[in-house]
Amino acid sequence: MKYFSATFLNHRIPLLCTLALTSFLVACASAPLPPTDSLNAARDAIARAEQADARQYAGAELEEARAKLVMAEKAVAEEAMTEADRMAQQARVAAKLAVARTEAAKAAEINREMGRGADALDVEMDRQGEQK
Amino acid sequence: MNTISLLKKPFGGKTGATIVLSTFLLTACAMAPETPPAALEVREKLTELQRNPEMARNARIELRDAEAAVELAEQPLDNDETALSDHRVYMADRMVEIARATGTTRQMEVERERMGEQRDAARLAARTREADAARADADSARSSEVAAAAMSAKEAEEMQRQIDELEAEATERGLVLTLGDVLFATGSAELQGGSNRNLEKLVDFLNKYPEKGVLIEGHTDNIGSAQFNQNLSLQRAESVRRYLIDHGVQSRRLNVSGLGLERPVASNESATGRQQNRRVEVIIEN
Repeated sequence: MKYFSATFLNHRIPLLCTLALTSFLVACASAPLPPTDSLNAARDAIARAEQADARQYAGAELEEARAKLVMAEKAVAEEAMTEADRMAQQARVAAKLAVARTEAAKAAEINREMGRGADALDVEMDRQGEQK
Repeated sequence: MNTISLLKKPFGGKTGATIVLSTFLLTACAMAPETPPAALEVREKLTELQRNPEMARNARIELRDAEAAVELAEQPLDNDETALSDHRVYMADRMVEIARATGTTRQMEVERERMGEQRDAARLAARTREADAARADADSARSSEVAAAAMSAKEAEEMQRQIDELEAEATERGLVLTLGDVLFATGSAELQGGSNRNLEKLVDFLNKYPEKGVLIEGHTDNIGSAQFNQNLSLQRAESVRRYLIDHGVQSRRLNVSGLGLERPVASNESATGRQQNRRVEVIIEN
């Protein structure tokens, strides 16, 4: 083995260098691209959640989305792009959940309000009915 | 192992060994990547939502997306790909929750619509009730007018009947009822005992029309002095007044006067005329 390696190295140094350089270049070009689309999508989703008052109605979900986005950005800084992409996707889906739960909470609030209004109306109408 | 030993014979030792080895390899390959247990939990949640008909109707798209995510999470992965597995499970789980929240929201919107319809129905019912009440009021007002008119017509008719019953005479001063001298013993102001139809009818009439005032006038013929006759006429009128009070007529309605021989209605020359002049007139004001 040792003998083989030595002879190989001795005779093919230029070729090896070329190979190494090529693979290095390829690695540089492909691996460290940040998942821009995922990150943007995550930021948009979080912004939408904030606009929808998620802070008030689904604070935990919104916080989770923000935390995931922070992790994604950290992963980008560490050039762990696969991790960054996953964290960005998770941040997006967490923000969407925040929006969905906010809407549900608002809907429930409106219904409660309407229920109270209807009760008041019933009382009012009963009162009128009694007067008649 | 039985299979292998059976196979071993026709193919010989070397081939048999190869088959054993490849069987092991295949088994190993099949065993290693398996569905992550966390994905099974997410699947369970999703199935529960899918079985809820309202959820299935209200969050169709979200459930379909969640289904795809869960299917991806369920795909077997090698042991060294736990990060990817965790990621897929996370995504699937959140998408199932999004479907749940969306379905809940729509459900509430449906409910709200129903509440709105109920409220509209209630409002409509209230308005209908009000309208009905108003109509009923109008109806009853109209019917009471009609009733009042009918009543007054009936009352007038009834009063006329009563007047006819009294055999009273309608004059300018009012209804004049003449009580003949048969009521009194000669020279006496006391009413004859026993029942007197005319007086009973008078009491009935006065009690029926309690707002009418009454003037009671006593009259005599010309036998005896004027003073005597005046006293007698007054006393007789008083007797009638007392009779009426005793039978429930309020005293303040009753005025009494004794006119003696001053107003004869017939000639005092004849007995019949004198009898007609001895009388008590009860004037019921209009």
